[in-house]
Amino acid sequence: MTKSRKHLAFNVFRYAVLTVWLAIVAFPLFWIVATSFKPDHEWFAWRPPVYWSETPTWDNYLNVWTTFASYADTQYVQSLQKPWIALRNSLVISLLATSLAVVSGAIIAYGVSRYRILSEGRMFQLLVLRMVPPIVIVAPLSLYYAALNLLDTITGLVLIYYITSIPYAVWMSKSFIDEVPLEVEQAAEVLGANRWRIIFEIVLPVVHSGLVATFLFILILTWSEYLLALILSKSEVVTLPVELSKYQGSSEGRVYGRQAALAVGITFPLIIIGLFIRKHLARGFSFGMVKR
Amino acid sequence: MAKIELNTLKKSFGQVVAVKQLDLVIEDGEFLVLVGPSGCGKTTTLRMIAGFEDPTDGSIVMNGKIVNDLPPGERNLGMVFQSHALFPHKTVAENIEFGPRMKKVPAEERRKRVREVAEMVRVTHLLGKLPAECSGGEAQRVALARTLITNPDTYLLDEPLSSLDAKLRRELRAEADRVHQELKKTFVYVTHDQEEAMTLADRIVVMNRGEIVQQGSPMEIYNNPNSYFIADFFGSPSMNLIAGEIEASDDGRRFVNSTFSAQLPASYSAIQTGAATLGIRPEHVRVGSNTPTFATQVRLVEPMGKETLIYINYGGERDLILSPRQTQGWRMAPKSASSCPQRKSCFSPQMGRESLRYPTNRLNFAPPDPYPLDGAPAASSSSQIRCGSAG
Repeated sequence: MTKSRKHLAFNVFRYAVLTVWLAIVAFPLFWIVATSFKPDHEWFAWRPPVYWSETPTWDNYLNVWTTFASYADTQYVQSLQKPWIALRNSLVISLLATSLAVVSGAIIAYGVSRYRILSEGRMFQLLVLRMVPPIVIVAPLSLYYAALNLLDTITGLVLIYYITSIPYAVWMSKSFIDEVPLEVEQAAEVLGANRWRIIFEIVLPVVHSGLVATFLFILILTWSEYLLALILSKSEVVTLPVELSKYQGSSEGRVYGRQAALAVGITFPLIIIGLFIRKHLARGFSFGMVKR
Repeated sequence: MAKIELNTLKKSFGQVVAVKQLDLVIEDGEFLVLVGPSGCGKTTTLRMIAGFEDPTDGSIVMNGKIVNDLPPGERNLGMVFQSHALFPHKTVAENIEFGPRMKKVPAEERRKRVREVAEMVRVTHLLGKLPAECSGGEAQRVALARTLITNPDTYLLDEPLSSLDAKLRRELRAEADRVHQELKKTFVYVTHDQEEAMTLADRIVVMNRGEIVQQGSPMEIYNNPNSYFIADFFGSPSMNLIAGEIEASDDGRRFVNSTFSAQLPASYSAIQTGAATLGIRPEHVRVGSNTPTFATQVRLVEPMGKETLIYINYGGERDLILSPRQTQGWRMAPKSASSCPQRKSCFSPQMGRESLRYPTNRLNFAPPDPYPLDGAPAASSSSQIRCGSAG
């Protein structure tokens, strides 16, 4: 009796904390959406702030996403790439880099997990690739990129994203592959399966939830990466986050409504993908924590 | 046909020697059980036979051919693991047909054979399910089916039942036995469960610390354990092992320790005197009425249904375990002495009237009872007692 009451109290407390946390996390998202529907004069409204416009408008969206022939002339913006081109660039670069990273990361992780092809020390060294602040490497990197003609190319950005994503891909997929009992592989081995078949028909399908989680995790990082994309591109290969930063004018300041409309376009695809593969994510991120 | 010979097989992992100098011949069609405590090298030995571990030294010969360098898939083995090791993303049918599929057996033929083996181990109703939807026992049957379908010469079973509950264990144990009888193939079975070893084996090979310490038929091992370790390991409850000394007496040899002394049977009259451990199975300890007696305390009465185990503290390191035929009275008030079977033997095991007072009893300890069955003299009382060097 007291136990269940305690349990109830704990649940109430837990949901209260989670609700507050959700409000903190979701508020900026709400604000972006709200702002994207505000007409110009409400963007800066303060005292009182406008939480939800009384005259919501699609203008921001239309301006950003449809009138690409003419928006370069808009008075608010100094220089603009067409958001659609930025969207295409972002899609191509992040999907390519992420796919490469996840596939090769999984294969490397298999080697580490089963054959110790990298020692523990090497595994941590691998992490350095990710932990080094991009700002430290971006200047020398841009020199090399210039020399190699990689500046402002899709190949260049895919390459650097691939390299910086590899540590995550290896570490995450290793944690999933470690969970696959060796006996399952050995059972296949006794039955006459070769190594590649074991990897592609047994191990990777078993951990596919984990791989989907890894994929999304890396996709989010590359999709939203800003600094490297800014420095290593000039005008040709502009990605969405870089595009987003360009919505400001010298006289008008930031054009928040337009930015918000673009930001919605950047953020919500990820949220929607996340919802679709929710099942995999929950399984993927809890892999190894659940005793089977 | 599969005769397996292990010649001076050795395996070390860095500094740790898992298996040292193992020589063993496994006959065709034999059910051989490798048994021992964890870390004794039994699983490593099995994994070397399977080909998952390369021997550090020595050779594995199958049907006269050295197979050290042959990968597991080419040794014509079937293996069943402790954790069924089914492919979790494949249905039961897909799991079972995996082996033939690797061997490029046509789909039609595969389906037919899946049906056959599924019927053999009674998993037909599970074919469309995923392993996660099967119970532990069902999963292990499926694992067996997946192995059966490839029709291997040798079956390697690595503690296949240890993750199941007791009832299922007994059930599948019988199943394993049946499959072996039907197929007449070579089975190598690893377990740490002495009961499984006893019930399944044609021959038990007991390992400890990387070595074979004894091998023989289950009854040989049960009746004639050749070391303290094996005496302690086989049998549930385990054998009583009592430290003491062998002394010469008028009629041969006596076993003496700080609490009691007992005359040993005539067959022991020539054994060496000195420090020794007396081993006696609980079912052979009898309560008598003769002198001398010594103070004891009943610590625990454990009714197991068929038998009742009585744990008695007599001052030794471990409790003395008895499984008397007369189990009444151990927790109750005095019981008349006349209801205790009177045994006249060289040990005169008897129990006094006052001796059944719980919790403190006086009883004299009767090592091997030469009359294990009522009235009938034992065929060989020598098998009921082991003496050897202490420790």
